[in-house]
Amino acid sequence: MKEEQDEIPSGINRREFMRLATLGSGMVFLGGCGDIRELWQRQPVIKVDSWHQGFCRFCGTGCGLQIGITDNKVVDVKGHKYAHNKGRLCIKGIMNRDILYAGDRALYPKIRKNGEFVRASWEEAMSLVAQKFREAIDAHGPDSVAFYGSGQLFTEESYTASKLFKAGIRTNNVDGNPRLCMASPAFGYTGMFGLDEPMGCYEDIHHAQSLFITGSNTAECHPIVWEKILDNKRSRPETFITVVDPRRTRTAEEADLHLQILPGTDVALYNSMMYEVVRRGFVDQEMLEKYILIKEGDETRDFEAFKAHLDDYAPEKAAAICGVSAELIREAAWRFMDSSASMSIWTMGLNQQVQGTAANQGVMALHLLTGQIGRPGATCFSLTGQPNAGGGVRDTGALAHALPNGRKIKNPEDRREMEALWGVPEGTIQPKPGYDAVSMFKAMESGDLKCTLVMATNPGQSMPNTNRYREAMKKTFLVVADAFDPTETTKYADVVLPAAMWVEKGGMFSQSERLYHYVPKLVDPPGEARPDLAILTDLADRLGIGNILPSRTSEEVWEEWRKISAHSYYNFNGITYERLKKIPGLRWPCPTEDHPGTCRRYVPGEDPLSKGTGRLDFYGRPDGRAIVFIHKQQAPPEPPSEEYPFILTTGRVLEHWHTDTITGRLPETKKVPVDFVEIHPADARRLRLENDMQVRIRSTRGSAPFRVTVSRRVREGLIFTTFHSSRNLINDATIDAVDPVSKQPAFKYCAVSIEPVQA
Amino acid sequence: MKISISSRKQVKSIALFLFLSLLFTVPAYSYPEDKGISAAELLRQVGIAATIVALVGLIVVEFFMKKKIARGPYKWLLFIGLFMLPVVTMLSSTTTLLDETTTVESCASCHIMEPFVDDMMNRESPTLAARHYKNKWIAKNQCYQCHTSYGIHGTAESKRDGFRHWLLYVTETWPEPITFKGSYPNANCLTCHVTTDKFQQVNSHQALEEKLKANKVSCATCHGPVHPGPDERGPSTRHPQVEEVAVEHQLLENPGAISSFVKGLNNGNSGLSEVVK
Repeated sequence: MKEEQDEIPSGINRREFMRLATLGSGMVFLGGCGDIRELWQRQPVIKVDSWHQGFCRFCGTGCGLQIGITDNKVVDVKGHKYAHNKGRLCIKGIMNRDILYAGDRALYPKIRKNGEFVRASWEEAMSLVAQKFREAIDAHGPDSVAFYGSGQLFTEESYTASKLFKAGIRTNNVDGNPRLCMASPAFGYTGMFGLDEPMGCYEDIHHAQSLFITGSNTAECHPIVWEKILDNKRSRPETFITVVDPRRTRTAEEADLHLQILPGTDVALYNSMMYEVVRRGFVDQEMLEKYILIKEGDETRDFEAFKAHLDDYAPEKAAAICGVSAELIREAAWRFMDSSASMSIWTMGLNQQVQGTAANQGVMALHLLTGQIGRPGATCFSLTGQPNAGGGVRDTGALAHALPNGRKIKNPEDRREMEALWGVPEGTIQPKPGYDAVSMFKAMESGDLKCTLVMATNPGQSMPNTNRYREAMKKTFLVVADAFDPTETTKYADVVLPAAMWVEKGGMFSQSERLYHYVPKLVDPPGEARPDLAILTDLADRLGIGNILPSRTSEEVWEEWRKISAHSYYNFNGITYERLKKIPGLRWPCPTEDHPGTCRRYVPGEDPLSKGTGRLDFYGRPDGRAIVFIHKQQAPPEPPSEEYPFILTTGRVLEHWHTDTITGRLPETKKVPVDFVEIHPADARRLRLENDMQVRIRSTRGSAPFRVTVSRRVREGLIFTTFHSSRNLINDATIDAVDPVSKQPAFKYCAVSIEPVQA
Repeated sequence: MKISISSRKQVKSIALFLFLSLLFTVPAYSYPEDKGISAAELLRQVGIAATIVALVGLIVVEFFMKKKIARGPYKWLLFIGLFMLPVVTMLSSTTTLLDETTTVESCASCHIMEPFVDDMMNRESPTLAARHYKNKWIAKNQCYQCHTSYGIHGTAESKRDGFRHWLLYVTETWPEPITFKGSYPNANCLTCHVTTDKFQQVNSHQALEEKLKANKVSCATCHGPVHPGPDERGPSTRHPQVEEVAVEHQLLENPGAISSFVKGLNNGNSGLSEVVK
């Protein structure tokens, strides 16, 4: 004790100094590492307890994810290395880690009482919903109630909803947002091949020598598909990319050839390209003799009649309609036919017009005529906009005209077959198709629809001519199940039900290339939120028709559904939960549990359902021949006038998704503006408009405010904006004209005026 | 005598001047390529010279001059030969080692790295590594440039990783498939890219600014894959599996072999053994 006291005033000796210095420098070094484990290897910034395989909540690309969970919370998301996206994600994919914790999650049921929402218990809310549905059905018949679903529900949920309404309540009023999205390709494929969904797959992109991208801003709307296209170009710079788009999009900027056509002139363009195919002698004779049937409506036509029809679309004539030069059309046609493998890619640009089905069938006909089909890299391929519009809605037939697996309501045999498979008495399924999306909202307006259940979608913002249909929503007893509240739809609801989303529930998604994949339940939903499946089965029980839904868990529903699919050409009997928990997806047809899935349909040897040894087998058609339809270009539904001199077209930006219900609530994506309208410099000059000036875009239906962006991306007379923002709600102005075949609204074309707003 | 003293002084100052001017030329050699040799190369040569001088000097001093010189200078010479020059050699060899392990050849010397290096040098590969290599966006030491962070800490980190890789390799304890560990430091990408217009004009970059800075999102998430994925890492041409490739070639060139191979498959065995025989 005494010694120590003596030492303190005398300071530290040299040895101690050296020891302290060594210790100190060691600590400084370790401090620099931050973590002692850094001495061995680099540590992740985000600490994750466990990683799980999952899939993206957003678009139809369907990217595989690794989802990192810590303390029952999603904390990190990475791209899945073994999935088709090879570990890549776009910003929306990355943001999956935050979507569950965005603001405004719906936490408990709400009932509107005297115009105000009040919190309710599930028991209270569901008994009110069941009571209202029962009253409407008893007083006005089953067709007075409807279901408006979504391509964002799991397959199990859409299937259950469709079965509950069609076989339980006995109304075919089952439709949803896929009608606004993929109805035209669905009718396009079914009309020509007898079956829906594309025959190719993503792998074809890597084999294609010529890519024909039309009506798709792939770079922004399907960024990971675009990366695949660029990969092909990076590996083989001679790969030729043609883009057809009225707007010089980011996709068009990177193309080798851009045809900036006038919107809604697709049919003329594809007819003209087919004219060139015939003129240059590039018609595949084998296809013509064995695999194609030419029709105009229901009438069969011969090849001479087809040629005579094409004569009206010689490039010079089509050039006048499309607003691009004849040389460009010839070049595009040449690049398509003179290639070892041509692949076409399209989406909303073709689908959302009054000739949507015709435009879809025009592209498909080009492939049939040139024989660019059924080989690696030679295929016609539509991209879907939602994570599960294909598998959830088109395959399950959760649409007003459809029954599962390509069956049609109006076909009595199809109804009998489904009644037998569902184990319900013959005659249960009504013979009359239900209301398609626009008709459904018109029926609300007229008062024919008394009760409507809306799930996982936001028609208050996404429907065209929204003003009109918002008023209509007020006239029906509207039940909205959504993960977020408020939305532009819950505002008009009578009951709001909080729904679980994404990994708060488990189920199957299916993306653009017919690939089913499994999204596992990893965390608990917030508040009192429930999976949509639980809401549907609860409703069934309360309506006294619970027996129609014997399968109560996602896995049970899937087991029921895959076995039903085995009785059709949409065979995914071999896809089980067990398999998909291990691998990132399987493409159907997949008839048995040891089948590896199918890349290219209709190809004998590759597709397990095709027969024979021929080049192709279009088994969806009774004669094995796909139909090439004769379509004529029609005038636009609402040509520009003196009062409304501009053509309005709408679209998306990369960072936002659809009505911004999710991406509009994330701090990161909120930074990216969506309130702009692109106006050509010549138009801006004439109207004395400058960047960032406020204008109002007005049509005969309604108007919305926007900020001017003078841009050369649009052609003169054309303006572009996004449909993301509820503050700049462009769908107040868009037209509710629909394609007469697919009933899909024509969002891409209407006449508007631009009015400066005085600041 | 006076003259000689002044001349000795002159010789000393001239020698000092020469030595200093030589010393000042060292930085000039630090820049590689056409301007001369790099600092590492210079140090390597100095190291070799020091080793030779030390060895020769020690032999000469110990066996030939031990009895001819005084005890003082003898001790000094031993001190230089046994301590000073080995220190220079050690410094030199460490530098050489650090420098040599930055080359692509060094990374490729482990078989496990071959699929990555092969892919990088494949002109048709669309991976980020291959594109940086093909387009000469990085002039040399392409592996090291992306796998080291900036500053002395970065060098230490990359050497730590290299050492760990080497340890796992020689002890054959690496886990397959190999993966990048931890969060990739985006600063390595941003140092070149962040100032470009092309980078700044992308809305997603602005939206994700915070997450990118904190390495919570890797640049490679959107712009990858950087290297071939685990299922794309085919057998290397320099791998023992070359034999298998040879068998495949044999199959391709000999139609008879193909049919027996297929028969073998049908019978439930690979059939390869027969073909190889």
